[in-house]
Amino acid sequence: MAGQSSTLDPDTLAKARAAGLDKALAAFPDCVADAARAAALDLADVPAIDGTTEPWPSMRIRSGR
Amino acid sequence: MTELQWLTASEIGAAYAPRRLSPVELVQALLREIEARNPDCGAFIRVDAEGALETARRAEADIFAGRSLGPLHGIPLGVKDNIDIAGVPTTCHSKILLDNIARNDAPAIANLRAAGAIMLGKQSLHEFAFGGPSKELPFPFARHPWNTDYHPGGSSSGSGVALAAGFVPLSLGTDAGGSIRNPAGNCGVVGLKPTYDLVSRRGVFPVAFTLDHVGPMARSVADVALFLDGLVGSHTERSFGADLERGVRGLRIGFVRQWHETDMVADPEVMAALDEVERVLRQDGAEVRTIALPRLQELAAVQRIILLAETWAVHAKWLRERPQDYSTPCRRKVMPGAFLSAGDYVQAQQWRGRMIDAVDDAFRDVDVLLTASGMDPPFRIDDGPGLAKTYPRQGRSPFNLTGHPAIAMQSGISKTSGLPLSVQFVGRAYDEVTLLRVAAAYERVTQWRHRRPPAMYRGGAQRERITVTA
Repeated sequence: MAGQSSTLDPDTLAKARAAGLDKALAAFPDCVADAARAAALDLADVPAIDGTTEPWPSMRIRSGR
Repeated sequence: MTELQWLTASEIGAAYAPRRLSPVELVQALLREIEARNPDCGAFIRVDAEGALETARRAEADIFAGRSLGPLHGIPLGVKDNIDIAGVPTTCHSKILLDNIARNDAPAIANLRAAGAIMLGKQSLHEFAFGGPSKELPFPFARHPWNTDYHPGGSSSGSGVALAAGFVPLSLGTDAGGSIRNPAGNCGVVGLKPTYDLVSRRGVFPVAFTLDHVGPMARSVADVALFLDGLVGSHTERSFGADLERGVRGLRIGFVRQWHETDMVADPEVMAALDEVERVLRQDGAEVRTIALPRLQELAAVQRIILLAETWAVHAKWLRERPQDYSTPCRRKVMPGAFLSAGDYVQAQQWRGRMIDAVDDAFRDVDVLLTASGMDPPFRIDDGPGLAKTYPRQGRSPFNLTGHPAIAMQSGISKTSGLPLSVQFVGRAYDEVTLLRVAAAYERVTQWRHRRPPAMYRGGAQRERITVTA
């Protein structure tokens, strides 16, 4: 397990472990690495936004029934 | 009379009334067709012949006794296998859910039953409507019925293929990033992603909670309209097909050229077909003007962050405990959400609000948008790099983000592959009536829908030699 996981960079490895993907790390380290790369590529295409500005994600109150 | 397998739902209804055709005769003919051809193209993964015939017998008795429930009474249809039909497994084309028997009908299915429709069976999809095609799955993946060496698009692959192969007049699909419109366009049929939440999403296995849509697929715009009436149910005040015959004179169409000309340069054949759509609409009396929307890459990226984060929420437990039970493409596609933060998701949702506003602003000046659907013609199933372009190079996912209704249909034929090219029209939120009006006018002029495969199932004999790139 350690041998396969060690091919991943430390940041990816830490995030994957934090997400509970130990089994996937052992059996499919390439998938895990691809997934981390895909997430980074998508994030790179999202323009910066000031998190303190509107619009906020919506929230609707319900009756509780 | 047209061969039974190619009749539209509207034509079938018209033939039932004077008893020129019976529901039982039609269902029997379609079942024969499926039995003979489905092994070549994999549209259905489960066919309920007995149940369909029983419903057809009841429909026949009622319709012929003058007790018609409306335009969907006695009309056979197929259902993507991520939508619940009571007593039947909803497998999502995955090993993980092989024994997942649905307890209830999804409300959309219940509405269709109430309208008298006949459920013929469950249709193949990309695993969890996400990753495919793959040979690691419990059922064969769908192949393009015009040429089985080609990919029909996804994730509602079987639903599009079943229409193009003449197995059913109607298919029910789902769409979180283009999954109704991609196979509809690739297969030369019509697919509508309605406004977000217009059709109930309950009883549908989620891809992404805030992006998922359920919608109709058919071989004509008129059929899409009557199918949508049935899906929405009895509270529809006005038929979605109310304006199908009005033409486009007086309507303003906004052509989003920037997406396929500069943001993601489309294949020359796709570009030429879109120019021809513009010419046809102008000639028919519409005013077409070029308009700008936010950059396609930014819209697509924001949609992807939301999609991946929500998908992770659905699959995290299984990805942790049984990652080996996913096919390789699906595992790769559902896992990136593990590498996103809560802040990434919230900020993507903030961007989403702005993007919805941008599209709504565009609709102050125009009635309907014209955009590229896919940037490329269909790819061969063994063309891994080509298939990898299918999902990022498209103009469909922005409207899952914004929730506006969008329809994809055929815009031409590729000279290289001989397969359909596609176009997308987009409407104001809840204005499916105008959207379908434009699609119907375009369909009437071009008549692409009457094209049939030149050599049905060409390439099928070689299919076992094809290597599928996982």
